[in-house]
Amino acid sequence: MTIIKYSFLSCRIIPILFFWGTAFAQDYDFDIPEEEEKAKIEFSGNLDARWAVLQTNKSSPFYGLNFFGMEKPDEYLSQYRLDFYFNGDYSYKQVGFTIRTFTEYTHEGSIDLFIFELFGNLNFSPRLTMGIGKRRYNWGKGYAFNPVGYVNTEKDPENPDLALAGKSSAFIYYNRSFSSGLIQNLTFSTIILPQEAYILDKYAGLDSTSLAVKLYLLLQNIDLDFMVFIGKNQPQLYGMDFSTNLMENFEVHGEVSYANNEYTPVIQDSMVQMTNRDGFSYLLGLRYLNDLNITFIAEYYHNNSGMTNLEYENYLNFLRSNLHSLETELISYSKSIMTTNFRTKNLMRDYIYFKASLPEPFDWLYSSVSIFTIYNVNDNSFVLSPQIGYKPFTNSEILFWPSFFFGDYNSEYGSKQFKNKVEIWFRFYF
Amino acid sequence: MHRYKFFHILIFFFIASIIWAQESATTETKGNAILKKVDEILTPGSVEFYRKLINEEPNGNKKEFIFYSVKKDRDKVAMLYLSPASDKGRATLRLGENMWLYIPNVGKPIRITSLQSVVGGVFNNADIMRLDYSAEYDAINLEEGTADYILGLKAKTRTVSYDSLKMWVNKKNNIVKKVECYAASGKLLKTLDFKNVKDFGKGIVRPAVIETTSPLYKGFKSILIYSKVNRKNFPDEVFSINFLPRLSELR
Repeated sequence: MTIIKYSFLSCRIIPILFFWGTAFAQDYDFDIPEEEEKAKIEFSGNLDARWAVLQTNKSSPFYGLNFFGMEKPDEYLSQYRLDFYFNGDYSYKQVGFTIRTFTEYTHEGSIDLFIFELFGNLNFSPRLTMGIGKRRYNWGKGYAFNPVGYVNTEKDPENPDLALAGKSSAFIYYNRSFSSGLIQNLTFSTIILPQEAYILDKYAGLDSTSLAVKLYLLLQNIDLDFMVFIGKNQPQLYGMDFSTNLMENFEVHGEVSYANNEYTPVIQDSMVQMTNRDGFSYLLGLRYLNDLNITFIAEYYHNNSGMTNLEYENYLNFLRSNLHSLETELISYSKSIMTTNFRTKNLMRDYIYFKASLPEPFDWLYSSVSIFTIYNVNDNSFVLSPQIGYKPFTNSEILFWPSFFFGDYNSEYGSKQFKNKVEIWFRFYF
Repeated sequence: MHRYKFFHILIFFFIASIIWAQESATTETKGNAILKKVDEILTPGSVEFYRKLINEEPNGNKKEFIFYSVKKDRDKVAMLYLSPASDKGRATLRLGENMWLYIPNVGKPIRITSLQSVVGGVFNNADIMRLDYSAEYDAINLEEGTADYILGLKAKTRTVSYDSLKMWVNKKNNIVKKVECYAASGKLLKTLDFKNVKDFGKGIVRPAVIETTSPLYKGFKSILIYSKVNRKNFPDEVFSINFLPRLSELR
């Protein structure tokens, strides 16, 4: 009888327990990405396949100049492009090396490769690190605009999360935490920025090197930064920013910057003149999450070096008169001015940015919807842009992204070269 | 005669209220002591660990993330996303009530709120970057069942994600078995089931699996699996926003 019992146990129960245990282990088992004790090399990146339909704005001088001499295009244009981001990171003990590249493909035979970042760094300790190369910095607390972004590559407020190119520089960071007291963390950053080579594409003047310094403090529950930027033939810039959570779902942030000896271009007497614009630029913003899981971001930005309504109209009239002259030299001159003196994304003085975003609306899994507007307070023009995102599979994303520009023909958004556009992005990560 | 009767009643209530207050204080003290033991078992001192998060959707689909996390003291947590590729390199930091998210493309840490969810599903940021229970909650009630302590916990401040918790703790080993999370209105928001108690070595014995469900997300389930929980000392500077881009150096 006992033998029968044991054989029942061994034949039925033990296998059941074994399989149950195996099944359980399978459910709750996972592979940890490989951990290497020696050198680590990692590659990552993404491919953005973008297709756009664009409605041209025939009254825009930017449209007229950019498309001058070309066969009269239709009112609607399409654009197909591939943006490929490829990143590599190497680390061995205290040494690190990073490369980030960007390749743009629009048609056969035209591939533009850009090195966005290329730098090496020495991590002496968690407190001290230094490095040299081309690196992207992002100072400031603002989402769409950063008046204290002295070392930033200017971002596109219509797509602030896009990867951007860095700047040739050397940097050193000292980071210190304190277990008690008012200050919990302090980081001191120093960045040296030599001027880009402009002599024979290889050399630059030694005295044109700039220096940027930032002190970060975590003061109780407030992030605080104080920064300075100095350089020969450059404006002296002094700024501070802050960010804090007033409630668990409500954050406020701000930036203020003072520019001394700043000169910005304006059009006077059909010429580009440099005019002094010393004074304050500032930004005030908030981020709020409501009960419906909608995140709101709102920012007000005053750009002291921006153009007034009259100055912007003068600029447009200058471009229009050169365009209407049909003289190749004047048109080339206008184009070069557009891309050198007036190349910033926001040329005027006062803007309001507002964005609302909601993940998985109406229980649509893996989707997200958002809408943003950038409103030019000075000339009442604006861009309105809803966005629908969907992630059908892990590491893939589809974006449907129309943008509509509103304003009269002398306003900033009303004079853009495209009136409206609709973009579809297919994004693949690896 | 009536005057004496009144005094007797008064003295009775006075003594009763002292006993009640003392009893209540003892309950709170004992409850908080149990809560501290629960914390010590879940995340003892300075530790590193890996976690896999599986978000199960009502249609049967799964979304998975793997994180490397480090924790120090009661209120310092940093976490690095290892997979999927679309999120790799992201890092989050929590210091008490402050939370930041670092996205490599953006290149700077931004403040986020504890109620947002960077991973979607049932978990919000505070769930993923949880501090010690005793750092955020006080025990206000203690019941003793046959096998479990049942703790009633109240949030210390209004900024804590859940107003109150009900926690079941094994009386034998002080290992938490279940936690119910409630809103200030008394509404049940989430239930966490702690499963699969595992010996991770170096004296760390804790549940390796946490299953989370919510009546607000019907059909959803989030499973958090712990692996390689290891005692390791970290300097305080590791838990600062400027170290977030360097978090992978710790692995």
